[in-house]
Amino acid sequence: MRPNTPWRRLVAALSSMRLTLVCLGLMMALTVICTLAQVPLGTHVAVDRTIRTFLVWWQPEGSSLQIPVFPGGGMVGALLFINLSLAQFMKLEWSRRKFGLWVSHLGLALLFVGEFSTAFFQVESHMPIEIGQTRDYTEDYRRLELAVVDTTDSERDALTSIPESIVKAGGEIAHPSLPFMLRVKRYHENSQFHMRGPTDPPSEATLGVGASLHMHPEPPVSGEGEQNAASALVEAVAPDGRSLGILWLSNALGAPQGFITEGRTFSLSLRARRYYLPFSLTLKEFHHDKYAGTNIPKNFSSLVRLSDAGRGENRDALISMNNPLRYGGKAFYQASFGKNDTLSVFQVIQNPGWLIPYLSCILVSLGMLIHFGLKLAGAMGGSK
Amino acid sequence: MRRSYSMLAASFVAGLLIAAGPLFSRGSKADLDVRGFSRLPLLEGGRIKPIDSFARNSLLVIRGQQSLPVDKHRLTAAHWLLDSMFRPEAADTYKAFVIDDPDVLGLLGLERGKERRFAYWQVEPKREEIRAQAERSHRVESGRRSRFQTAVANLDSRLELYERIKNTVMVNGADDPVREFESFVKLLPSALKAMHGSAKASAADQKATKSLTEMLDRYRFLASAAAFKPLPPRAGEHPDEWTNVGEAAMSPAAAADPHPGLYAYARMAQAYKDSEPAAFNDALRAFEVWLRRERPEALSSARSEEIFNRAQPFVSGMTLYVMALLAVCLWWATRRAEVQSVSTGLLGAAVLVHTLGLCARVILQGRPPVTNLYSSAVFVGWVAALLGLFAERFHKKGFAAAGGALVGFCSLLVAHHLGSSGDTMEMMRAVLDSNFWLATHVVTITIGYGATFLAGALGVSWIVRLHFVKKHDAETSKALTGLTYGVIAFGLFWTFVGTVLGGIWADQSWGRFWGWDPKENGALLIVLWNAAILHARWTGAIRDRGIMVMAVLGNVVTSLSWFGVNMLGVGLHSYGFMDKAFWWLVAFAAGHFLIATLALLPPRFWTADKA
Repeated sequence: MRPNTPWRRLVAALSSMRLTLVCLGLMMALTVICTLAQVPLGTHVAVDRTIRTFLVWWQPEGSSLQIPVFPGGGMVGALLFINLSLAQFMKLEWSRRKFGLWVSHLGLALLFVGEFSTAFFQVESHMPIEIGQTRDYTEDYRRLELAVVDTTDSERDALTSIPESIVKAGGEIAHPSLPFMLRVKRYHENSQFHMRGPTDPPSEATLGVGASLHMHPEPPVSGEGEQNAASALVEAVAPDGRSLGILWLSNALGAPQGFITEGRTFSLSLRARRYYLPFSLTLKEFHHDKYAGTNIPKNFSSLVRLSDAGRGENRDALISMNNPLRYGGKAFYQASFGKNDTLSVFQVIQNPGWLIPYLSCILVSLGMLIHFGLKLAGAMGGSK
Repeated sequence: MRRSYSMLAASFVAGLLIAAGPLFSRGSKADLDVRGFSRLPLLEGGRIKPIDSFARNSLLVIRGQQSLPVDKHRLTAAHWLLDSMFRPEAADTYKAFVIDDPDVLGLLGLERGKERRFAYWQVEPKREEIRAQAERSHRVESGRRSRFQTAVANLDSRLELYERIKNTVMVNGADDPVREFESFVKLLPSALKAMHGSAKASAADQKATKSLTEMLDRYRFLASAAAFKPLPPRAGEHPDEWTNVGEAAMSPAAAADPHPGLYAYARMAQAYKDSEPAAFNDALRAFEVWLRRERPEALSSARSEEIFNRAQPFVSGMTLYVMALLAVCLWWATRRAEVQSVSTGLLGAAVLVHTLGLCARVILQGRPPVTNLYSSAVFVGWVAALLGLFAERFHKKGFAAAGGALVGFCSLLVAHHLGSSGDTMEMMRAVLDSNFWLATHVVTITIGYGATFLAGALGVSWIVRLHFVKKHDAETSKALTGLTYGVIAFGLFWTFVGTVLGGIWADQSWGRFWGWDPKENGALLIVLWNAAILHARWTGAIRDRGIMVMAVLGNVVTSLSWFGVNMLGVGLHSYGFMDKAFWWLVAFAAGHFLIATLALLPPRFWTADKA
C-alpha cells in the first residue's frame, strides 16, 4: 500500500509512529509548562490555559493581542487519540503476539475519552454546611451569578439567576419574570470596598450599603486560596424609564440589598453560582480527630442526613477522608472545615465519566502484563 | 565451580556479619544503665517510641548527627539527653548547635572560625534577640523568607527544642526533684483545705497554700514546656492518655495516688545529678517492672525500635553496596570467577540487610513501606538493587549487579540526608492515612522509580564502557541493551499503574481523577518518557546508543518529578517541602547531561591509540 493519493498520504501521516513520538514530546513539554505555570498562576488557571485549551495563547505585556505559541492539551490529546486509533487499525496486526498491545492501547484510548469527558462535563462546586443546617444547593466559587430574589411571599422565594458572563458583558438585562430592567453600569473582576472617607468622591450607588462605601478596582488574582471580589454597579429601571436606584453588588458584600416596586420586595446580590439539588443534606455531626498529644490531623468526618422526598430516601451517611458519598450523580467529598469545627465543607463533583479511568487502568495494566510477560518469557527461554 | 560457590557463601556470610556488628557493640563501660534508660517508652509526635529514638532525632535536628563528641569521647544521643535533662549546666557547654549562616553568626557576635558548632551558653546572651527575629520571619510567608530569616527561624526552633528538653522532667536546674515532689504531695491536702475556705484551716494550712502555689506554678510550667510525655496511662485507662511530668503532678488524683513514673523519673534525675549509678539503676528497674505490668506493649515496642536504631541496617547496607560495587570493578579488572562470586555474595548480603531494615520499619510502624520522602528513597534503592540482583542471574556480565549496587547506595545516601530533618516514622496527615492506597499507589509508583533509576545506571555503565573498554564487544553491548530495554518496560508498567492508581486515589479523596497537580504531572512525565523510549525503539528512530542516552536522561526526569516538584511548593501534594537539596538536584541533572553528551561523542574519542 503506497501512499499515493492525498487522502492516503494524510492517513499515513496521521497513523505514523513518528507522529506518536512528536505528540509524546509535545505532551511532555506541555506538562512541564503547565507545572511551572502553576507557581505564578495557581493550578486552575494554569490548567485552563495550557491543558484544557486547543492552543496556548500568549499575551504580550500591555497589549490586547493574543498570539498562539504552542499547541494546547486539547490539540495534542486529540492528535494522539487519532494517531493511536488509526495506527491500531491500519498497522498493528491482529495476532496473539500483539494481543497485549491491543488491550493496553484500547485502555489508553479510554483514558483519553475519560479526560475529554472530564474537561467538558465535569462540574465542580462546594457545599459549606454548619452543624444542624440543611442545604439543598451547592456553590461554585469560581463562577458568579446575579441573583434577584422576590421575597414578597414569606413562604416561597422566587429566584431569577443571571450568569456572570451576561453581567460582565454589560448593557441592559431584561427578564420576563422581573417587572424591571437591570442596567449594568460598571463591572470589575476584582475590587476592594472600604468605608467612604471625607476625601473620597461621593459613591455612585444610591441604594443599599454601597451608598456609604468607596470601591477601588484591583487586578484579578488566581493563586491558590486567593479569591476575587467582583463588583457590579447596577441600576434598576422601571418599565416607564424611572430609576429605582443604583446598587453596588459584590460577592464581598454580605448584607442583603434591595428595593420594593409594584408592591413586591426584591433582594439583589452577586454571589457564588448555586446549583440546586433535588435532595438535601443536614449536617448532624462533624469530627476532627488528631493524633495523641499533637495537632496533626488524623481524620475528618461528617455525619449527614440525606433526605430525598422524590425517591423516598431518608438515611444517615458518613463522609470522611478517602470516603465520599455518591448520590444522584454527584459525589460529596470532605474538603475543609472551619468555625471551630462546627462548619464542614464538602467538595461536590458531578462527572458522568468518573468510572472510565478505573476501567482504563485495568485494561492498560493487563495489556502490558500480557505483552511484556510474553516477551520476558521469550527472552528467558532464549537465554538458557 | 565448587570453589566459586563457597566463595559466594563466604562473602555473603561475611557481609551479614559486618552488618550485624553494631548490634553486638558494647555501650559505655560505665555502670550507669544508659541503654536501659534509652529503651523506656514515651509519647511524642503522636506515636509511642523509645527515648533513644527521641534523643537521636532531637540531636539530629539540633546538631545534624546522632552523637556528640565531648572531651575526646563520643557521647551517645541518649547520654546527651540525660545530660540535657538532669545536668543542664554541663549540657549547656556541649557544642551541639550547628550555625552556618554568616548573618546569624553576626547577630550573635560569634566568630566564624574553623568551628561551626556552638554551645548553648554562647548563644544564651542573645536568646531574646533570636526569638524576636524568628517571630519577625514567621510573619513572612515561608517561600518568601530571606536566607537569614530562614536560618534564624530554624535556630530559634532548635533552641526551643533544647529548652523544652531541659524542662521536661524537672525545672531546668532544680536542686532536689525528689524532695520537691514529696513535699508537694504532702502539702496538697492541707492546701486544698485552705483553698476551699474550710473553717478549720489553720495558719499552717495558709502557709502550705502559699508554698503550694509556687510549686503549682512550676508544675504548670513543666506541663506546658515538656518536650515529650514519658508517663503512660495505667492499665485500663485510655491508651492515648499519656501525660508529662507537670500534667501528672497536677492531676486531681496526684495527692492520693501519684503516678509511679513521677517518683521513678524524679529518683533517676536525682541519682544522675549526684552520680549514683546504683540508685539510678534501681529506680529504672522499679519503673520497668511497673511498665511491664501496666503497659507491656508500649515497653516491648519501644525495645524493638531501640534495637532497630542500634542496628542501623541502612548504614550497613550502604557499606555493603559500596563493597559489592568495588568487587564488581575488581572482577572486571581481573576477570576471575572467584571475584565475581564475592561480588554477588556481597550484593546478596546488602540486599538482605536492606530488606530486613525495610521489614523492620514496616512492622514497627504498622504501615506499608513507603510513607514519606525518606522511606521512598529507601524503597527505590531496594527495588533497584533487588532487580539488579535478579537481572544479574540472566546477564552474567556484572552490569546489572553494578547498577543495582550503585542505585542502592545512592538512594540510601539520599535517604540518610533526608532523615536528618527528624522522626522518619512520623504520623501520616489525614488524607494520607490509608494503608490500602499507601500499599498500592505509593508502592507501585516507587517500584517504577526504582526500575527507571536502574535503567539509568545501566545506561551510565554502557556509556562508560563505550569509552573505557578497548576491545569492541558487540555481544556484551547487545546484551546490555536488551537488559536496559527490559528494565525500562518493567518501569513503564509500574509507573503507569502507579500513576493511574494515584489518580483513582485522588478520585476517592479529592473528587477528581486527574488535576494536573505538579506531583501528578511529574509522574506523568516519567510514564511519557519511558513510553517514548519504547516507541522510539520500535520505530527504529533510536538504536543501542539512543536507548542508553534516553535511559540516562530518564534519571533526570525521575529525580525532577520525585524531588523537584516538591520544591515548587504548590498543589495538594506539597506535604514534604525541602529546600536544601535544590543544588544537589541541579548537580545530579548536570552530571547526567554530561554523561549523555559523552555518549554522543565517537567511541574512545580521547584514547591515544585509535585502532
